[in-house]
Parts: sequence; structure tokens; C-alpha cells
Amino acid sequence: MPYHEFEVSKVIPERKLHAVVKGPGEDLTSCLPKGYLNTIPGSISERGCAYCGAKHVIGTPMKDVIHLSHGPVGCTYDTWQTKRYISDNNNFQLKYTFASDVKEKHIVFGAEKLLRQNILEAFDAFPEIKRMTIYQTCATALIGDDMAAIAEEVMAERPDVDIFVCNSPGFGGPSQSGGHHKINIAWLNQKVGTLEPEITSDYVINYVGEYNIQGDQEVMLDYFKRMGIQVLSTFTGNGTYDSLRGMHRAHLNVLECARSAEYICDELRARYGIPRLDIDGFGHKALGDSLRKIGLFFGIEDRAEAIIAEETARWKPELDWYKERLQGKRVCLWPGGSKLWHWAHAIQEEMGVKVVSVYTKFGHQGDMEKGVSRCGEGALAIDDPNELEGQEALRTLKPDVIFTGKRPGEVAKKMRVPYLNAHAYHNGPYKGFEGWVRFARDIYNAVYSPMHRLSAIDISKDDYETGKGFVTRRMLSDADLSEDAKASPITGYTGKFDPIPDLRKKTDYPVFARRVAAAE
Amino acid sequence: MAKKEKKDIARANYPKLYTSDPLADLDADTREKVSELENYIMKNCLWQFNSRGWDRRKQNAGILGMTAQLLIGEDVEISTAIDKCYWVDAVLLARNFTARCAWLGGMGAEELRTIMTKLHARIDWLTIDGSLNEELTVQNY
Ligand code: SF4
Repeated sequence: MPYHEFEVSKVIPERKLHAVVKGPGEDLTSCLPKGYLNTIPGSISERGCAYCGAKHVIGTPMKDVIHLSHGPVGCTYDTWQTKRYISDNNNFQLKYTFASDVKEKHIVFGAEKLLRQNILEAFDAFPEIKRMTIYQTCATALIGDDMAAIAEEVMAERPDVDIFVCNSPGFGGPSQSGGHHKINIAWLNQKVGTLEPEITSDYVINYVGEYNIQGDQEVMLDYFKRMGIQVLSTFTGNGTYDSLRGMHRAHLNVLECARSAEYICDELRARYGIPRLDIDGFGHKALGDSLRKIGLFFGIEDRAEAIIAEETARWKPELDWYKERLQGKRVCLWPGGSKLWHWAHAIQEEMGVKVVSVYTKFGHQGDMEKGVSRCGEGALAIDDPNELEGQEALRTLKPDVIFTGKRPGEVAKKMRVPYLNAHAYHNGPYKGFEGWVRFARDIYNAVYSPMHRLSAIDISKDDYETGKGFVTRRMLSDADLSEDAKASPITGYTGKFDPIPDLRKKTDYPVFARRVAAAE
Repeated sequence: MAKKEKKDIARANYPKLYTSDPLADLDADTREKVSELENYIMKNCLWQFNSRGWDRRKQNAGILGMTAQLLIGEDVEISTAIDKCYWVDAVLLARNFTARCAWLGGMGAEELRTIMTKLHARIDWLTIDGSLNEELTVQNY
């Protein structure tokens, strides 16, 4: 087994089982790190807690909901506004966060009364919002507060409101992933099937594991609408509470982030017979094949092909322009969970970069199976790395750019490695045909940024040029290209600064006659 | 659509089919060919990685079985929505195989069946029986 031992972790021998190097001839039966285990004491993990996984990652992207944490204000504050899951209702769920503000005295005397008062106050403060999710935290779980009983009381008192109870305290799993699981199953058990949705198309899907980071969901919804597909619900980015109660009526679950949302798809398959189709919204080939599959499922593949042809003609030349300039650039792909496999193969094939390392903070071995398969020989795969291991890897691998979260990203910047935000993006959306070019543009800008180059010079000891005041694209990224490539009239991405406002205004979607006139 | 409440926990105790790489003794030429197909799946597909071993067994059998039928030109029977989902992945796989591996075009039905059986065994080995993933036998999803 090709385990990799970090110098800095020699004092924590258990860590050796959490990193592997994919050598020649290695496959998944010989090369897979451990995963989803409790963090080893002494290792300063970058993980979040199970409450964070439930609330911050999955619950809060629901847009028409008061998200109230039952616990100290710190839990709430630390899971507020750091992920850009926007919505088309003026970002209510991002702007406001709610906490019952539990203090020491409540730990002694109980916090149920406090919770009840907070629920009522929050509904009174936002009378147009009639839906709420309450989240358990460590302290209130330990004192045994019965959140469900309080929610029942309030719902009985105010019949126009509906409350979802998420019992996933911070200690409910080794990482945020424990919370993903808990909220998936809780939503299914408590809410799915409690509202009958209106069916308006012959082709009805739930779009699952999609969080509308900088508009990803809205880009994909545009494709689905152009195909005449009704998206009954999105779990959960830009999704509404009530639409998610009707998930049981879809014909197909289209699953994007299997790490955070496969549980609900698997249970919907077991309980309601709705099949699960895994897709990749990132990368032109993967996205094209994904739309084709959905089209095939419903017998409307021609509609998918029309979109693929139009979008590829518009965006592929610009993607190729970046590919030519990013050849061989070394990438550390260090996201939270699913992007290590969503991106590993697609960025190598379609942008020409080389993935030298993948890591996951909270992924399971299943995610590493996908990630290790999709990257090439020599890649270093790390599970739940600590900060020192990250630094050691950056020093030895010398990547040109790193895709990661903002905490390790800032560390990377200090080590003079340009960083792109893999969770919340820099200038997303990154999904869709256009989005993929936006990602390539961000990589290009990171790799060739003159500022980053300047920052890498230590003027106390390094030689540096004093006679060159500026550099241009031709000097930076085009110097070694062929004359043909240099002469290309393309100059990179030509889309808008933000493509989402136009999508929100768009109304000219095709109307397709229904095969079945009456809704089922 | 009926709501099924009972969970089948026995499914986590699925039998092992292989105890070593089923292609270890294969001739170099066939091995090379299977590798090409395997590589395409492992780099581009997700269906072989459902979270539990029993589920992977079904996915592999469903999708690779139908892919073999499509390559050979046989009719594929689709009786449930879940079958249809297998078929969708099989169609895309067959198309991508044919586009990438010209040698498939020169094979007769028996040769295609044989190579797809070998591929199926290899994918089962990689993702189930030889897998180091310790969560494959967890009872819940
Ligand atoms: S670990 Fe517990 S106390 Fe800390 S943020 Fe999570 S829920 Fe709150």
C-alpha cells in the first residue's frame, strides 16, 4: 500500500493511513486512504462540525425560511454568510441568521422557554415568512431540550406556520458530513410527502445536491427549462421549503453532489421507487453527457442535443484559448468533498492542467475512490489533512495554483501560492458551459497574476528585475505559444461580469405540448 | 407510488464473488483492451460508486449488462424506472466505447460478450470485492 508519511506528522503515526501516492499500476484495491474517521487528537483539522454540515451546508440554502439555531450565538455566527449560496428572493437566507442565544443560566435551568419565545419573535419580525428550520447545537442537545415538542406547540398555536426540526448537534459525527446525513434523513422523514405539488410537465425531476453557489442552480435550471423539464424542487440551493415537501412526486432524482445528498436520493429510491441519476454539471463533456442522459430518460434527447450544440459553439473556443495557456500548470485540488472528483478529470482534459494532489476535509472513502480514479499517476491524495501537512505538501509539490476553502487558501497565499475558492468560488458561477469558461478565466488570472509574481520575490535576498515596469499577456502567458495561437482573435472570456440577472429576467422558454393532459 | 417503510438490512451481507483480481491470468492483448474500457469508466462515470456494496453490485450488473446488449445489438428490456436509469447510463457508455475503441467494431457477438463479461468482473473487483472502502457493508445508506 503506497501510504505517504508526512515529516510533520511522524509524531502522529496514525496519520500515515490517511495519505497515499498513486504510483504506476496502482488501483483502488491498493491505493486508498482511510476516511470519515474521528480526527486524531493532536491533528489540527480543518473540518467543521455536524451542526455546521446540516445548517450551513444543506439547510440554509433554502431561501424562504427562518433558519434558527438553538444554542449559543457563536455557533450561528460561525456558520453565517461564508458561502455564497444566493437566491432570487433578495438573499433572505444569507442576510439574516437567527439564534436563541443560549447562556450559562439556560444550561442550568433549561432553554425550551427561550426557544419558544425566539421562534415567536422571529415569525413576528418577518411576518411574510411562514417557514422555519430549527437546528440543535451541542449545548442544547446535552441538556436535553425537546425542540420537536416546542415546534409542535407553536405549529398548533399558529396553523399558518410550518417548522422543520434538525437534530444534528456538533458532536453528531466525525465532521460536517455527519450533519449532511442527519438532515437528509430528517427532511425525508418529517417533510417529504406532506404537500402535494402541482405537476405541469410530462418530465418532472428533483435537482438534488445543488446549492446555487453564485448562481449554479439558476444556470442549470435554464437548461432544464429549455428542455421542457419541470424541476419540482432543488435540494436545496435557491429551493423553497414547500417545493421540497413535494419531492415524492418526481419521476427522476438528478443528483449532483453525492457526498452531501445521496442519502435522500437513495431513500427516495427505496421508499418511492424514484431512480437516482448521478450527473456532473462541471466540464463541457461531462455536462453534455449529463444533459443527454436526462434527455434520454424522458425520450427528449433532441432537446438536450440542441442546447449542447448551441452552448458548445458559443463557449468552447474560449475554453480552448485558456487550455492552450494553462498546459501543464500544477494544481492542488483541495476542496471539502465532492469537487475533488467533479473537477479532477475535467480540468485535466479540458483545461490542460495537471492535478498533483487531491484532498478532502470531510469526504468518505467513496469520495476518495472517485478522486483517486480520476487523477493521474503521482498524485498525492490526503484525507482530513492538518495545517502542517498542507504546508509540507505545498512546499514539496510546488503547485502553480490551489483550489481550496478560504482558511487554507489564506495560508497558501502567504506561502506565495495563488488560491481559488473551491467552495464559494471567486467569480462564479462555474457550472454550465459558460461557467466552466469563467472557472478557466479565474485559473488563468490566478496563475499569471503579476501581483502574485511580485509577492513571490523576497527583496531581502532574491534577485529581481528593476528595468521592467509592466508585463502584458503576450509576455506572461503567450510567450511560448505558436505563432498561430498568438494570432488568435480570441482574448479569453467574453461573457458578462455576472450572467445571473439576465437569467432571472428570461421568460422566452419554449412551450411543449403535454402528452398526458391531466396531472397525475 | 407506494411508500415502503421496511428496510432490508440483510442486503449489507452480500456474498463476495472474487477473492483476487479476476483478470490476473488474462492474455496481454485482452487485458489491454479491458483496461481501455475500464479506464473510461473510472475517469468519466459515477454509477459504479454508489455508497454500498450491494447497490454497486446491482448498478454494475444493470448498466454493464445492458451495455453489452446494446453493443451486440440485442433488445434491452426496460420494465421499471430504475431499469430505465440503467439503460440511460448504458447508452452513453456504449456510445463512448464505440467512439473511442475502434477495435470494438471488428468484434462479433461472442467476442463482445466475452470482453464485457471480463470488464464486468474487473469493475466488480475494483469497486466491490477488492475495494478498500470500509463503508461498503454499512447497513444504512
Ligand atoms: S461543535 Fe457544537 S458548539 Fe461548536 S459550533 Fe458546532 S454545534 Fe456549536
